[in-house]
Amino acid sequence: MTSTAASKVPIEFNDKVVRQFMLASIIFGGVAMLAGVFIASQLNFHQLNLAEWMTFGRLRPLHTNAAIFAFVGNMMFAGIYYSTQRLCKCRMGSDRLSAIHFWGWQLIIVAAVITLPLGLSRGKEYAELIWPINVAVAVIWVVFAVNFFLTLHKRNEPSLYVALWFYIATIVTVAMLYIVNHLSIPTSWTHSYGIFGGVQDGLVQWWYGHNAVAFFLTTPILGIMYYFLPKAAERPVYSYRLSIVHFWSLVFLYIWAGPHHMLNTALPKWLQMLGVFFSLMLWAPSWGGMINGLLTLRGAWDKLRTDPVIKFFIAAVTFYGMCTFEGPLLSIRAVNALSHYSDWTIGHVHSGALGWNGFMAAGMFYWLAPRLWNTKLYSVALANFHFWIGTLGILLYVVAMWISGIMQGLMLNQVTADGLALKNTFLDTLQAIRPLMGLRVIGGGMFLAGWLVMCYNLWRTIRSGTPVNEVREVAVLQHGKTDTMGMKDTFFNDPMACVMGAMILILGWIFLPPGADIASLICAIVFGYLAVRRFQKTSHTWANWYDRLLHNYLPFTVLTFVAVVIGGLIQIIPTITVNSAKNVEDRIQKLYEPLELVGRDIYVSEGCYNCHSQMIRTLVPDVMRYGDYSRLGESIYDHPFQWGSKRTGPDLAREGMVGQRSDSWHYAHLMDPRSMSPQSNMPPYAHLNTKAFDQKTLPTKIAVMRRLGVPYPPMDATEIKMKALEQGVKIATELKKSNIVVRPDSEMVAVIAYLQKLGHFDQVEVEENLSRKGQGVPFPLSPVIPDKARRADGSK
Amino acid sequence: MDSKQPSPTNEPVLREHVYDGIQEYDQKLPNWWLFTLYLAIAYFVIHWLCYYQLGLGSSDEMVIDQAIAEMQVARDKQMESITDEQLWALSRDTAAVEAGKATFMTQGMCVSCHGPDLSGTLGGAKLPGLPLSDKEWKHGGTPTEIFKIVRKGSPDVTKGMAAWELMLGMKRVSEVVAFVLSHHKEGEPVTRAADSPPLAAPAAAK
Repeated sequence: MTSTAASKVPIEFNDKVVRQFMLASIIFGGVAMLAGVFIASQLNFHQLNLAEWMTFGRLRPLHTNAAIFAFVGNMMFAGIYYSTQRLCKCRMGSDRLSAIHFWGWQLIIVAAVITLPLGLSRGKEYAELIWPINVAVAVIWVVFAVNFFLTLHKRNEPSLYVALWFYIATIVTVAMLYIVNHLSIPTSWTHSYGIFGGVQDGLVQWWYGHNAVAFFLTTPILGIMYYFLPKAAERPVYSYRLSIVHFWSLVFLYIWAGPHHMLNTALPKWLQMLGVFFSLMLWAPSWGGMINGLLTLRGAWDKLRTDPVIKFFIAAVTFYGMCTFEGPLLSIRAVNALSHYSDWTIGHVHSGALGWNGFMAAGMFYWLAPRLWNTKLYSVALANFHFWIGTLGILLYVVAMWISGIMQGLMLNQVTADGLALKNTFLDTLQAIRPLMGLRVIGGGMFLAGWLVMCYNLWRTIRSGTPVNEVREVAVLQHGKTDTMGMKDTFFNDPMACVMGAMILILGWIFLPPGADIASLICAIVFGYLAVRRFQKTSHTWANWYDRLLHNYLPFTVLTFVAVVIGGLIQIIPTITVNSAKNVEDRIQKLYEPLELVGRDIYVSEGCYNCHSQMIRTLVPDVMRYGDYSRLGESIYDHPFQWGSKRTGPDLAREGMVGQRSDSWHYAHLMDPRSMSPQSNMPPYAHLNTKAFDQKTLPTKIAVMRRLGVPYPPMDATEIKMKALEQGVKIATELKKSNIVVRPDSEMVAVIAYLQKLGHFDQVEVEENLSRKGQGVPFPLSPVIPDKARRADGSK
Repeated sequence: MDSKQPSPTNEPVLREHVYDGIQEYDQKLPNWWLFTLYLAIAYFVIHWLCYYQLGLGSSDEMVIDQAIAEMQVARDKQMESITDEQLWALSRDTAAVEAGKATFMTQGMCVSCHGPDLSGTLGGAKLPGLPLSDKEWKHGGTPTEIFKIVRKGSPDVTKGMAAWELMLGMKRVSEVVAFVLSHHKEGEPVTRAADSPPLAAPAAAK
């Protein structure tokens, strides 16, 4: 390193990897959208379930994973690699790591494209990939992280720009979420059981799922917005102060909102309430990002007329604003009671994915292509056409889904005049939304058409130029001035003391037993008041501290991690006790017999959960339609949980209750759903009949279940296999009475066995629990679950 | 907060630092924006306080249990005025008949006295109950009359048929009747037994 700060050296940026990621994103974006249009068509035309590997249940995970990880993933990497090098005034940390990152990520995508249609799935949304691919994702993510932080380490720009804050948050949080939600014990090279089960699995899944939206689809794209929007508009960012407040509140609050995916379910109420309130509090931080984006254009609004890049960016930010307004609305329990499990949610995610992600991507690609290939955009007119057909497509899609979701929700809740019977069958409601599902295909198709126009436009652009790597004269930063902050400076200061103090007192309010909780709340309010007073007096020291923090990337990263880790710990750790069988209060599910377990694994791998929930909510219409509401203990041994997020078909939580349906009904329905439910749009599952179920790994599966705490009695391998076959023979014999011939070792009997088991439970002895509760009066300050300490319930 | 950059005019402060050509204003946060954030936080505190500390409102389980219980009461009330036609219709509903059969055949229930084939006999031996598969009815053979006797028992409950309404609930009673009726045809002749108690006024029987 040369000695003087003024010495300038030429630096060539690694723009090759940016070009690679950009092209990969464009291609996989098209693939993801094509898959989306195809599976949306399957909803109206069941005939399009052409083959076993082309059923909706298997292709829907392909669509979601491709859209999230292949399309937005590659787009995000392109944007991050381009902007980070320029914001740090240096080349990426390591060319080798950049290349490993790119090729590794594409290999993962190819592996996903092969395994998902084969029915190799973990059965958790956006976390379907099997464990060897999970390991690869984690490794490649670490490669990316190392490469990124190496770049920060050798940067020639002392201070971190807001875009980099968002990239840092993305990298640490996605690593945390991905690893925790994919913890599992393998039973073979292609199958594993997640270590969490039941309600806890649900909590971890939606902590991950919701924050996949937050930290994979939102924060990196906000970072990209903060770089590319002011660049394209050639205007200063609206407010630095707003950046600070909305960044920190966004990353802190987002993590808590996951439980809003399980409102009105068996999830303990305090978690549901946290999910709702944090979602409502999240509205302002989200709009902070939108305001900073939109108002950056102040004084340059005329560009909206002429520059397609600005058009895309502004529309994207507007969709982001719409979507983050809708999100908190959908999190309100009363709204959620209608909207959840319906198309409304699907419309909501697509206004985000197509409007926010899709248009940010398009704007960025139109801006990057001429610069990366040293040429001019081939056609502004075509880009404008793309913009308009894309916008109309999204609007058509979203409006169709609003109408569909609200209409189906209302129809499902409709009762007869006396209020004692439901008015519509599930199939009635499905018929009613068919035209809207058709409109959705048209809307999505228009968006895809726009995308293809962009492909052509960019292809012509690229052909007219040659790839160039930008070279810049950069003043080398003298090391020793930045990155000097120690642990003490990071943690022991006014801002941290105020935030942490308030945090601990608020947690005391939530978790301390009666009496102490109110005291803690009062302390929190007084403390908050004092902290604000202190801030007003000494705000410049706070600002100075933050400016210093921006010169120190590791402390910044550590604090970001602290902010995102708190919510998860507080929600997930207490449920370890809630979810253990000995603490269940009323009902506990019956263990799956070996054959039923096999059937369950087939159900999971076929992706049945994409359309069928297994959760009867504490809502009158749900109970009237599907039976008694689901209890927490009724899915306690489920690895993975299958509460679902969408009901394209009816709930199955009590499908196997006595007297519900015969084995022969299930057989006929699985062979051809329309023979039993005319006008159903379910794919046929005749292929289950031709394949024998996997007996070989069954003993391993039971052994893993035992390790996970599922109380199977000790059984040896032959015993397990015999048990499975005996049950298979029993079902086959039963079916023979209806003149149906099936192999007793076919996947068909296993799935029927599983479906017939759904909803079976044992009543837990209540007295036993009461006596346990009486044992040992808790120390007055030991934490309790809020639901147990609640005043009204305690007195009953 | 403003100690750092007192701006004499209303012009927003432009921060000095330039990142790859990007500059930042340092505008104050919009008031309406701050207000929504504060409102959301206040709502959290108040709602939580009301529910957990003050004990206001009922838990989800209490609400749904009560709603379902109310529906059950309304259903039972509706069942009081069930008609012959409705019971015949129920006897053609396989799900109801199957459920009724399950109740009927449960050990200690109807089957103990009336026999598995409803003949009132078991292996030739006479059981305490009367046959239900023939056309002779001691207490009246219309569906509503059968329904009434299953609910309330025979006029003198110390002898003969017990009252099942409390034990089974109206729904299961109706299913059992549907099962019994499934052994008969609508419109078939009904005779009264020789030892039938005198007929009550027809209006009261309904």
